[in-house]
Amino acid sequence: MWAFVTNPVEAGSCGPGVESVEASDATHFKARAKVGIGFINARFNLDGEMVSVTESEVAEVKAHGQAPGSAVDGTATMRLSDGPDGGTTMNWSADVNISGTLASLGARLIEGTANKMIGQTFVCMKTKLEA
Amino acid sequence: MADTGLKETPQTTEAVGGMGHSVKRKEDPRFIRGQGEYIDDLVLPGMLWLDIVRSPYAHATIKGIDASEALKIPGVLAVITGADLEKAGLHWMPTLAGDKQMVLPTDTVMYQSQEVCAVVATSRYIAADGVAAVLVDYEPLPVIVDPFKALEPDAFVLRPDRGPDKANNHIWHWESGDRAATDTAMEASEVRVSEDIYIPRIHVASIETCGCIADWNATRGQMTLHMTSQAPHAIRTVLALVSGLPEQNIRVKTHDIGGGFGGKVPVYPGYVLAVVASLTVGKPVKWIEDRSENLQADSFARDYHIHVELGATKAGKITSLKVKTVADHGYTDAAADPSKFPAGLFNVITGSYDFDNAFVEVDGVYTNKPPGGVAYRCSFRVTEAVHAIERMVDILAHDIGKDPAQLRMENFIQPDQFPYKTPTGWSYDSGDYPRALKKALDMIGYDDLRKEQLEKRAKGELMGIGISSFTEIVGAGPSHDFDILGIKMFDSCEIRVHPTGKVLARIGVQTQGQGHETTFAQIIAEELGFPVADIKIEYGDTDTAPYGLGTYASRSTPVAGAATAIAARKIRDKSRKIAAHLLEASEDDLEWTNGKFSVKGSPDKSKTIQEIAFAAYTNHPAGMEAGLEAVDYYDPPNLTFPFGSYICVVDIDRGTGQVTVRRFVAVDDCGNIINPMIVDGQIHGGLTMGFAPSLYEEISYDELGNNLAGTFMDYLLPTAVETPAWETGKTITPSPHHPIGAKGVGESATVGAPPAIANAVVDALWHLGVRNIDIPMTPQKIWAILNEKGVTA
Repeated sequence: MWAFVTNPVEAGSCGPGVESVEASDATHFKARAKVGIGFINARFNLDGEMVSVTESEVAEVKAHGQAPGSAVDGTATMRLSDGPDGGTTMNWSADVNISGTLASLGARLIEGTANKMIGQTFVCMKTKLEA
Repeated sequence: MADTGLKETPQTTEAVGGMGHSVKRKEDPRFIRGQGEYIDDLVLPGMLWLDIVRSPYAHATIKGIDASEALKIPGVLAVITGADLEKAGLHWMPTLAGDKQMVLPTDTVMYQSQEVCAVVATSRYIAADGVAAVLVDYEPLPVIVDPFKALEPDAFVLRPDRGPDKANNHIWHWESGDRAATDTAMEASEVRVSEDIYIPRIHVASIETCGCIADWNATRGQMTLHMTSQAPHAIRTVLALVSGLPEQNIRVKTHDIGGGFGGKVPVYPGYVLAVVASLTVGKPVKWIEDRSENLQADSFARDYHIHVELGATKAGKITSLKVKTVADHGYTDAAADPSKFPAGLFNVITGSYDFDNAFVEVDGVYTNKPPGGVAYRCSFRVTEAVHAIERMVDILAHDIGKDPAQLRMENFIQPDQFPYKTPTGWSYDSGDYPRALKKALDMIGYDDLRKEQLEKRAKGELMGIGISSFTEIVGAGPSHDFDILGIKMFDSCEIRVHPTGKVLARIGVQTQGQGHETTFAQIIAEELGFPVADIKIEYGDTDTAPYGLGTYASRSTPVAGAATAIAARKIRDKSRKIAAHLLEASEDDLEWTNGKFSVKGSPDKSKTIQEIAFAAYTNHPAGMEAGLEAVDYYDPPNLTFPFGSYICVVDIDRGTGQVTVRRFVAVDDCGNIINPMIVDGQIHGGLTMGFAPSLYEEISYDELGNNLAGTFMDYLLPTAVETPAWETGKTITPSPHHPIGAKGVGESATVGAPPAIANAVVDALWHLGVRNIDIPMTPQKIWAILNEKGVTA
């Protein structure tokens, strides 16, 4: 589980709209992601970094991405703990700043879209882990 | 010389069509047929397109710009960056307010959607593809969107370029009136009411966005700038100063303009970029904004945080007014205010009321927003002032339990007090405020409405009545006080009478829908007796039109209209000499009536103005120059002060918070009227643009500085469906100093309408404990109040 969430290619490819992920080194990666909010579609080029805050417990993904007229800067924190039935529980939080056209034109739709995308991300992770 | 008498009925025949006739607009046939020519209709041979890369961040360092992928796209010819402009010293330019703004940044962007670099390509679409392919490396910086936070001592400095002496975000402080006397009067007041009123940022949202075509002809050394501008001469001079091109080789030419409202006064970076691009590639270059660029990056209006306190006696006689305002100007002060008036004419805030003590102070502040403080059909802060005083008068009336109409009547400046000197220094030219309010009360049936309101309230229904008795201040302006970048705010007209008795007149102002081609012809028809059909009005070509400061702030009729009347009178003076020569009579024995000179006592011995025009070229007296033409640059002796009383009736839905304007009566007084139909049209349009920000429009920002109203889906313009049926009325009180007694009307209704609507909404909710609601009064905002008060249906 820890290996999976800290592997940018494995976990990163589950990110919202991610089309490709390429690891630059053990902790840095580049990704391309297509994000649509309402009628606006943008293809982001993302630079990311996986940070192990506390080995086997807390990991962070920091990402900075740009699309024409838009930008996204964010940090997602994943916290692993022992689950009730021998499994592993993941708690996550994310602090994301969206700037530019996507924020300006899609403001009213961002929260709903973001929740949907995050949900899809974890469904994807679950599927991969169970495979 | 002056002919300022009351003109309630036309003095000319309908065929001549002078003042007071509802002459059909001469410009309308081409608009109705879809044959207007707007800037984006114009395509020049070999023309290229320019599109702009804009910042996603409201504040960021630019670490690098990589245009290599963009330049690989076939058809992309060049990418212009701030570094390129810096080599020519063109990366900054002056604003009309004496501040400076970036054409393109070299290191830091200051607001979301700011211009970062420009792509020049062979088509509009390729240019857009090029924009999408430019990679800009940003390092985000902290953002300030709240002007009060910008003023905190530990706030970071947004404009370090101003030097170490100005290491803060405070732009200027401006004050007017007598602080000590006002404090004393306020302390002594039996009743004091105060309120914080915010007038939010709004955008003119003209249907035609901004744009230009810069056309550099290297062989001739000639720059022709086709553009959509309200002030083409000012643009020419600024362009000459910024670019170093000789001014005689710059021609600015406007075409039909699809709405100005002040948004087309400033010099935007896009214009300069098109000029630079054309100078670089030697071909015409077109730049046209799209809708979202227009809504996000063009200059904005309002954004005034007003703290206002009114002192009065228990009986409701106003004694004093004190105002402290924070003005959010965005990252640069790009307002088009006259140099001495950084807060415009905001100190007209004493309004229509007679009291001795007032003190007004305003502080301009920088934030991470696009330039604010420009215009929305009123550029000089009169809307903000009128809103504040009219809201406060209503609050005072409610607090002391007096009818708001009665309280106004008891505080009005009376007709015999004009010219009236206000405590902030203005000299109101003329007015009859009680007559206008009385007429509005009669038109709407005020007493019956108050009875109906009580009956409805007893049943739990929410109905409100709001009044606004505003005084406007327009016609900038007298040269001793008014200039922009040093250029005095005169305006001009040149009239040429052709041998066949047809007239060509050119004016220094610009029409963007007001109907100048008709009304200026009517002024000449009034003065000289030529039929309107024989008079052609031209404007907007700096190679031919006399120099003028342009059309904004309701200044066309007060200033250029006066110049037109005076130029016509110069022609009439010369015509008298020619007529005396033709009639073999003394000039003193001639009298002027209905377009002809006749010998006193022998009305059959006469010469028409057409006969005189022919003689000016064929049989002019010895010693006189041939021809019949005149020019006048008019320097107004004072501003003009249109006024009016508006009454609005609203019903509020308790279930949804929706405000419905049931009735709206507008009684306007703009002095003598040139064309009643056009005045009515101006008032209808102005009322709609007062209604819009009252209930719908607001440009808001999130904490990162993202503009949250970047499309017409989020920036809501009312359509004919939402707009109420306006009921208009008029009184006429001529301006005593204007040559034709006119005052200007373009902005009166935009200024006067919002407080009438706001007062009506608060009036409907006052019994629930509501004292003030800031505009726009959206259903969400009203519903939240109703919900808090426990009265949602």
